[in-house]
Amino acid sequence: MAPIFRRRFEGALRVIRRSLRSWLWRVPVELEVEEEIALHLELRTRELVARGVDPKSAHEQALLRMGDLRTVKRELLELSRKRDRAMKITTWIEELRHDVAFAFRQLKGAPAFTLIAVTTLALGIGANSAIFALVDATLLRPLPFGEPDRIVAIHETSAQTNRSAASPNNMSDWNKRSRSFEQIAGYTQGVGGMVMAGADGNAETVTRQWVSAGIFDVLGVKAIAGRTFLQSDDEQRARVVVMSETFWRTRFNSDPGVIGREIRLDGASWTVVGVVPGNFQLVGQSSIWGMRPILGAPERARGAYVFAAVGRLKPGVAMEAAQADLANVASGLAREYPQTNAGRGVTLQSIHDSIIGGDLRMTSMMFLGVVGFVLLICCANVANLLLARATARTRELAVRAALGAGRRRIIRQLLTESVVLSILGGALGVVLGAGIISVAPSLIPDGLIPPTVTLAFDLRVVSFCAAAALLVGVLFGIAPAWQATSFRSAEVMGSDTRTTTGGGGRLRGLLVMGEVATAVLLLFGAGLLLRSLIAVDAFDRGYRAESVLTMLVDPLGSKYPTPELLQQFFDEVEGEVRATPGVADVGWTSTLPLAFFEDGPVSYEIVGEAPLEDSHRPASEFQVVSPTYFSTIDLLVVAGRAFDSRDTRTAAPVAIVNEGFAKALGRRSPIGLRVALRPASAPQSEPVIREIVGVARQIRGRPDEVSDLVQLYAPLAQALTDDVYMVVRPKSGEATALVPGVRAAISRIDKEQLVSIRDVVTLADIDWAATGRHRFRAVMVASFAALALVLAMVGVFGILAYSVQQRIRDLGVRRALGATTNDVVRLVVSSAARVIAGGAVIGLLLSAIFSRLIVTVLFGVQPLDFTTFAGVTAVLAVAAVASMAGPAWRAAKVDPAAALRVK
Amino acid sequence: MPPLPSKTPNALLHGALDALILKTLIRGPSHGYAIARFLEDATGESVLIEDGSLYPALYRLERKGWVEAEWGTSELGRRAKLYRITKPGREQLARETALWRQFSVGVSKVLFA
Repeated sequence: MAPIFRRRFEGALRVIRRSLRSWLWRVPVELEVEEEIALHLELRTRELVARGVDPKSAHEQALLRMGDLRTVKRELLELSRKRDRAMKITTWIEELRHDVAFAFRQLKGAPAFTLIAVTTLALGIGANSAIFALVDATLLRPLPFGEPDRIVAIHETSAQTNRSAASPNNMSDWNKRSRSFEQIAGYTQGVGGMVMAGADGNAETVTRQWVSAGIFDVLGVKAIAGRTFLQSDDEQRARVVVMSETFWRTRFNSDPGVIGREIRLDGASWTVVGVVPGNFQLVGQSSIWGMRPILGAPERARGAYVFAAVGRLKPGVAMEAAQADLANVASGLAREYPQTNAGRGVTLQSIHDSIIGGDLRMTSMMFLGVVGFVLLICCANVANLLLARATARTRELAVRAALGAGRRRIIRQLLTESVVLSILGGALGVVLGAGIISVAPSLIPDGLIPPTVTLAFDLRVVSFCAAAALLVGVLFGIAPAWQATSFRSAEVMGSDTRTTTGGGGRLRGLLVMGEVATAVLLLFGAGLLLRSLIAVDAFDRGYRAESVLTMLVDPLGSKYPTPELLQQFFDEVEGEVRATPGVADVGWTSTLPLAFFEDGPVSYEIVGEAPLEDSHRPASEFQVVSPTYFSTIDLLVVAGRAFDSRDTRTAAPVAIVNEGFAKALGRRSPIGLRVALRPASAPQSEPVIREIVGVARQIRGRPDEVSDLVQLYAPLAQALTDDVYMVVRPKSGEATALVPGVRAAISRIDKEQLVSIRDVVTLADIDWAATGRHRFRAVMVASFAALALVLAMVGVFGILAYSVQQRIRDLGVRRALGATTNDVVRLVVSSAARVIAGGAVIGLLLSAIFSRLIVTVLFGVQPLDFTTFAGVTAVLAVAAVASMAGPAWRAAKVDPAAALRVK
Repeated sequence: MPPLPSKTPNALLHGALDALILKTLIRGPSHGYAIARFLEDATGESVLIEDGSLYPALYRLERKGWVEAEWGTSELGRRAKLYRITKPGREQLARETALWRQFSVGVSKVLFA
């Protein structure tokens, strides 16, 4: 043998020997050490005996040379264990490297398969990563506050509601009397605007939120410049503001000199005390936070529920204990101030639950469920592809098995292939997910995600993708790998591949059935949400105007000191705007139809009926409108009359009530009744008596509103207020086209007023905001359901096309024996149709069970909606026909002569 | 002058034992007792190696990949662990030999001056 060959041969032999030693000649390390030492001692003893030493002392000498036998053995044991461990890891890494390289070669050899599988997985993982980012931002990630676990939201409770805001007086008493909190503070629920006058004489509107002094301490937010509010600010009733980092940077160029400086807001002077980090937001995007004192508030303010209260628990205090403590305080207050506090309690909620809210939680969970199902379908599809491939590879695997590869080893090899596949898909999915996240903010309706949470594609999402990819790889790889290795080598190698497809075919049928069932489930959910959206869109809001321009006009305080002058200003602006080309109608209102009621409710009594206790008087929303408001937004006055020129400031006070109000009156006709009205926040005040002159149609603020809002309108002339909205309806076309004309008209009356026009939106925008979440949910789930359906039908197509291919010869024989085209098509289609029908039945059953879970996000449709059932079935039928048409056509076209020649 | 071996005398002696074992195995695979006997004969029993330290040295060499072990048959017809030097083992032997030469030359220069 030539030396070079011998070396190679020996090298090869060594490798084999080493693996033989590790896999075949494996003896426990204890035995290994024991035997080796025993042999040594025996050989040594024998040699000494041969030299003439007597056996007993020979053995003793041998032992002596070994040293302490126990220590030596222990040391050897430890060494050999270490050696085995190291060897195991090396072998494992070696095999993995080999498997990965082999997997890449395999995938390269089947580019079409690889492309389809990777794309499918990328779709599934990409969609999941985007939704995971949403869930992570809303449900998993802690809020950007210090020690958020110790922050709780505190709601007042009453007979009417268990989530009322808190009054400043109650808040300061809670602070004094409770023992569980470090501090309790509050913020107003809305973000308003203030006019900030600059040194250069220009003015601009800045967004502002009112807070009590302790808010930043409670939330654990530290100032990045200056300070936050102090207790002493509250005591001195100081006019102080804190601004956001963003505002500080953009408006003041991060000038530290702005701290301590006076700025003019709405005509008054305020001191800037500090700047807080950019990611701090409570509700809406605010640029500045103004301090509202709560200490020493007048007693009448005890009934003014204006603050969303939050408290920071003392370390180690449980929420339940704090709840009991504060409830105790509240019942004390109820005894002391029965007029306002009788029947009022408190309830605590974690700040996370309070800010995230049930609707968003539900939406996030629903999406997660949906994309999870989509990912399962992706897995099933790839598993199907792998099964088909495994069938084709049976012979290759059988050969490897015959050459000594164990079943576990082959399964590991196949799993490596599927994990490599899923990692490729996962990598592509990360890219896809990042893309979705970057465009998502423009698709998500305003208000669905609170400003405190941010949607980010970061390491957490990438890790999620990686974990998902690995899990998915094992998930879709395990069944095909198991299937592929369930053979007896000899049989397979000796036979035609086709005989081994039976089991695989059954498994593939089941997988596709599962896919169809899942797709049906998602379609059903999408159907319900679409029906909800249609119901929301078709919902009668009470007013008919589609496109109405609304702008908040805020006459600067000092300019119109008397009601007469203010009224004159409104009248002149109205006249000028009405004369603007394209304007059909114009009116004034204190609140927009679908917006939050800022004025707060009033309590009312019917004049001439028995007087009621303060806390028993019914309440109503109170809106101030001009006579033409009703015609401008096309809100019908269904009984009595609308306001008109008779209802002047000096005339008898009148009111128009809505249908909800009329319903609350029972059988009495509201027209002609006189009501005594007091602000709900001042139950002791002198009432205003108004005569009801008309009934307007009910306006529903939100389509999914449950109870009918009770509402009362008063004429602007009799309840003058600044900060009013002007509503302008165009003769035709888009309302936004009127903006320049209307601005010009106002500036002709008063140039300075231009600066205080803000919140220019159309009613359609407001409308969209109210229906946005329904649209968002419906569009999202429908898209995923469509994706699921396509994937499931690809699955159906796959098994059918494969089975036709496998049965070409069989079909040819049948044709040759006289089967008609119909017979052949029926034969081919019937198995796939059974799979689809089975999947559909399972899917519809699941739908009936699961649809109850999303009942809270449905509107105007029952969870077991027949139309949706029918619709889903129809869509599925069409999709099924589409997916089966190709393979059926192929089967019908089988040429008996050609088919019989197929190998 | 070549760089000095940065080894303490102890480590050097350790290395010397390794080198002796590797050198023995150059002649062909053998079991532990055969290695011990060869070293006794070759050194004329002037270097006494305790049997109890030979085996740990062998195990360490195996773990480092300088020798590999396999099961073979001993003179008694019993299963015996046979050690065989590997390619990295030969390279290590060359290194140790060079080191030892340097060391002994250095020491001799002083002692026999």
